Amino acid sequence: MIAMWHLIVRNTVARRGRLALTLLAVLLGVTFVTGSLVLTDTSQRLLDDQFRTATAGVDLTVRDAAAFDSAMGVEVERDPLPAEVVDRVRAVPGVAAATPVVRGQGLIGVGGKTIVPAGPSLLLSWEPAPVGAFTLRAGRAPAAEGEVVVDAATARRHRIGLGSEVTVRAERTERLRVVGLAGFGSGEGLPETTVALVTRPAAQRLLALGDNASEVAVVAADGADVQRLRSAVSAAIGAEYEVSSSRDVAASSAAAAKTQISYLQVMLFALAAAALLVGAFLIANTFSIVVTQRTRELAVLRAAGATGAQVMRSVLGEALLVGLAASAAGAGLGVACAAGLRDLAGAFGMTLPDGGLVVTPRTLVVAFAVGVGVTVLSALGPARRAASVAPVEAMRRSSADDVPGRAGWGRTVVGAVLTALGAAGLSIVLAGPGSVVVLGEAAVCTVVGLALLGPAVTPALIRLLGRPLGAAGVPGRLARESAARAPRRTSATALALAFGLALISFMTVLGTSIKDSTARSYTEAITADYVVESARNEMLGGLPAHAYHHVSELPQVAVASRLRYGHWKDGQSTEALTAVDPVTLPRVTSLHMVAGRLDAVANGGIVLAANVAKERNLKIGDTLAMTFSRTGVQRLPVVGLLRDRDAQALSTGYVISLDTFERNYREHVDASVFVKVAGGVSGADAKRAIERALADAPAAQVRDQAAAVAGRNAMIDQVLGLVTALLMLTVLIALMGITNTLALSIIERTRELGLLRAVGMTGAQMRWMIRGEAVLVAALAIVAGVGLGVAFAAGTVTALGRTTEATLTLPVGQLLLVVAVAAVAGLLAGLLPARRAARLDVLTAIATS
Amino acid sequence: MTMTDTTTTGTTTTGTLPRTDVAALARDVVKIYGRGDTAVRALDGATLSIPAGRFTAVMGPSGSGKSTLMHALAGLDTVDEGQVLIGDTDLGRLSERRRTLLRREHVGFVFQSFNLVPTLTAAENIVLPLTLAGRRADQAWIDEIVAMLGLADRLRHRPAELSGGQQQRVAVARALAARPRIVFADEPTGNLDSRAGEAVLGFLRHAAHELGQTIVMVTHDANAAAYADQVAFLADGRVAGELYNPEVPDILARMAGLGAREK
Repeated sequence: MIAMWHLIVRNTVARRGRLALTLLAVLLGVTFVTGSLVLTDTSQRLLDDQFRTATAGVDLTVRDAAAFDSAMGVEVERDPLPAEVVDRVRAVPGVAAATPVVRGQGLIGVGGKTIVPAGPSLLLSWEPAPVGAFTLRAGRAPAAEGEVVVDAATARRHRIGLGSEVTVRAERTERLRVVGLAGFGSGEGLPETTVALVTRPAAQRLLALGDNASEVAVVAADGADVQRLRSAVSAAIGAEYEVSSSRDVAASSAAAAKTQISYLQVMLFALAAAALLVGAFLIANTFSIVVTQRTRELAVLRAAGATGAQVMRSVLGEALLVGLAASAAGAGLGVACAAGLRDLAGAFGMTLPDGGLVVTPRTLVVAFAVGVGVTVLSALGPARRAASVAPVEAMRRSSADDVPGRAGWGRTVVGAVLTALGAAGLSIVLAGPGSVVVLGEAAVCTVVGLALLGPAVTPALIRLLGRPLGAAGVPGRLARESAARAPRRTSATALALAFGLALISFMTVLGTSIKDSTARSYTEAITADYVVESARNEMLGGLPAHAYHHVSELPQVAVASRLRYGHWKDGQSTEALTAVDPVTLPRVTSLHMVAGRLDAVANGGIVLAANVAKERNLKIGDTLAMTFSRTGVQRLPVVGLLRDRDAQALSTGYVISLDTFERNYREHVDASVFVKVAGGVSGADAKRAIERALADAPAAQVRDQAAAVAGRNAMIDQVLGLVTALLMLTVLIALMGITNTLALSIIERTRELGLLRAVGMTGAQMRWMIRGEAVLVAALAIVAGVGLGVAFAAGTVTALGRTTEATLTLPVGQLLLVVAVAAVAGLLAGLLPARRAARLDVLTAIATS
Repeated sequence: MTMTDTTTTGTTTTGTLPRTDVAALARDVVKIYGRGDTAVRALDGATLSIPAGRFTAVMGPSGSGKSTLMHALAGLDTVDEGQVLIGDTDLGRLSERRRTLLRREHVGFVFQSFNLVPTLTAAENIVLPLTLAGRRADQAWIDEIVAMLGLADRLRHRPAELSGGQQQRVAVARALAARPRIVFADEPTGNLDSRAGEAVLGFLRHAAHELGQTIVMVTHDANAAAYADQVAFLADGRVAGELYNPEVPDILARMAGLGAREK
């Protein structure tokens, strides 16, 4: 056994050239997995630290009660606490200190420009430790009304020094003098956040809170039992208020913030899985070629007394070595790349906290398990084939004329059945009744089916696709025939690339279709001339209420109507709703009611999108139970049904009135204000007037319809951009597969190539031939990949079209770009093997036995 | 085209054969493999003239340099010293690319095994050098050699579907197809049973005598060499003698002499 292992190591090292690309493929996949894990672990750790630091010195937090803490990663706003609650808390025995804390949103402006961070813009009352988590880095704490402390990170970035004048813009706007710079924990501030710290009275005035507080921070007396104290405080102030341990508050805040990272995590893992799957194809292919080339050697081993199991172990041993080496390198590279991945996500608008990387043992275990697992599993098939090599094959003279890798019957039949099932599933979805779930199953069936069926159909497909090559002379024909001759190898190589291209085409077509559908339904339903929207996520500020008032009072504006969004809970699931002004909305939109009337929402009812009503089995007169954070469960009568595409234009399938919203939500920022210009006023004049009126709402932007649509689609563009960038990695691995397969096939075909050179094929013709083969494999992948991608995107759009407005749009230009890039990449993949083939020494080639 | 059929050199051939034109010539050729202590002089001043329209066999013990000489004459390899001519073209002056083109135009090959491109049919293999050169095949000529080699009903088959003898006959047809100035055959019957081997040798002799095709065959088999018009014997990288209209016993005797000299 030791001798066997020795042989394995020697073999692997001797064949390192052949295995190098395999190693690289595994390495890239493991890098991806490790990078994703490190990135998400780091982000989560940083968020945990951040929220733990924020409440480190406090035992209990008293807040207004809410039905839920957060929805879709955003913490809900709560009603402020009256001052007398603080006194009541303070009176509870065991409370050492009860400090009212004021917090809200306030934009910092400096030198006439407002700083708009990607994250929150916090306005807090300055509380000394242990309640306040900010510590002074320079200057002193705010002591008087006109003073502010700014976080050191923002100060550095925007050149704010001690003594500078800044404006803080909340419910009111004030000019304040910077008297200190603060840090948070060990950092200079919070990621993508601006922080303004002022005295408590200043904070209350800026946020228009009167003498109320946002929450009360309680420090327990020495020796007091925190749990018991919690019950005591709760009993003293009543169920209207919520008393939580500060650690729970921190955990829940961190959990909310982590929700957003978990979306990214799911996406990264899906992409890593795709990269690994492509890598697996490449590994299986490489091992299968290497085993074929070593048939003679394996037979000699068998003849010398090695058992089939030993031979199999020797191949798997090689895979294990490759997997270990690749995992080690990939894990290392992944850690190094995590920061790069964070920058990439940032470049596409997904901001993650910045800080030291967290590498957990779990990350390393997963990296090695995935790397070694994928390699060994992929090598299993070839290893079994190696074990079945008979000793007599050592005596066979030449296997050069053997036709390698013909498709087996059983495999072909199973493949054909699965592919047919997949196609049937897709047809059902396209024809109407199928759901996205059916589509997913169909996709899996098709991919597995094609992988099995590939070898059987590849020769015909290659000959068909290779027609133009064949017409271009003997090298072209030979390229085509050589690709068709090894169908198993060609189909595995092509499928790996096809898979990557399918994902890219799928995402592109789906993204474009959704964007187009959004644009169509929006432009049809919204008839406003301009839309005022916040450049920021409305959860982080949106439009201040006065923006709407300023705009609606302008003489250039005929009518202005505003929209708000809110989250509510339906059992465990979170839903979104739209709040509208039923009086003005019809003047800036063209909405079609399927049943009932929109203006009926004025009486506290709700209008549902038609498909939502159908799904929930609700009709006019029924009631819908909705849980709001502020008011708990409310039963809203259904008063109307709205056409689906119009509901999509309003962003959600649930429409209530602004008054109803006001009653159930603490949030009071507008998402959009639709504006209809008054008669006789030019659009440009109106726009200028609106912009002037919005001078004190720096995040507000006046958009025409095209810009409004673009704003809505920006998120899709970001996700699409990030996903495509990461999928390119998959394509890169697949291209390495083409290079690898060709390089190995050249070794295998040395004699044939030598013969061709001897009878007069020039080096140029030979390079042409190998490159032709590479492009042909790429072409097969393009046809299969883009075809699959578009077909399943069409299926997905159809399935989605049943619940929202979605019609298929084929982005021909972008798809052609994908095709062109893949073809050129195929050509590039063939460059190296082509050069190697052309450099083959004729004599050695024909002498090779 | 740089060569004409009327070119001759000053080399003379003696013996019972009449004077003919020279198709190829190696003069004082030296080929060294390796460097320093491990250097091997595979050819050490070999001089051999290949008469046009004749069937010449090259024999010698293993390591005598017969394959090296053939590779040099065929333009498959370069030499370190001396001169190699095909017709009046000096191969030493040609670039690798020019040598490839010259092979394509003027040289045919038959190897011991693996002569055919497995993905091409017999017919396609036969015209391969022509198609690679972008030349049109002379169909009448192709038909003639195909008929002569008895391959007419095998043309649509792929190499894997042909017997060893048939494969070698296809290789002979391919070598003849472009009407090369010279055909080199390297142990063409080495992998065949005696009957198939005799058929191939018969065709080669026929091609020389009836079609005027110059043929050079490297072999270690005296029975095969006996089909040739003349045999050149190599030993230690030099031509050790020639034999005209050879008979098997004479060849065996000369080979035995070479073997003895080797010791």
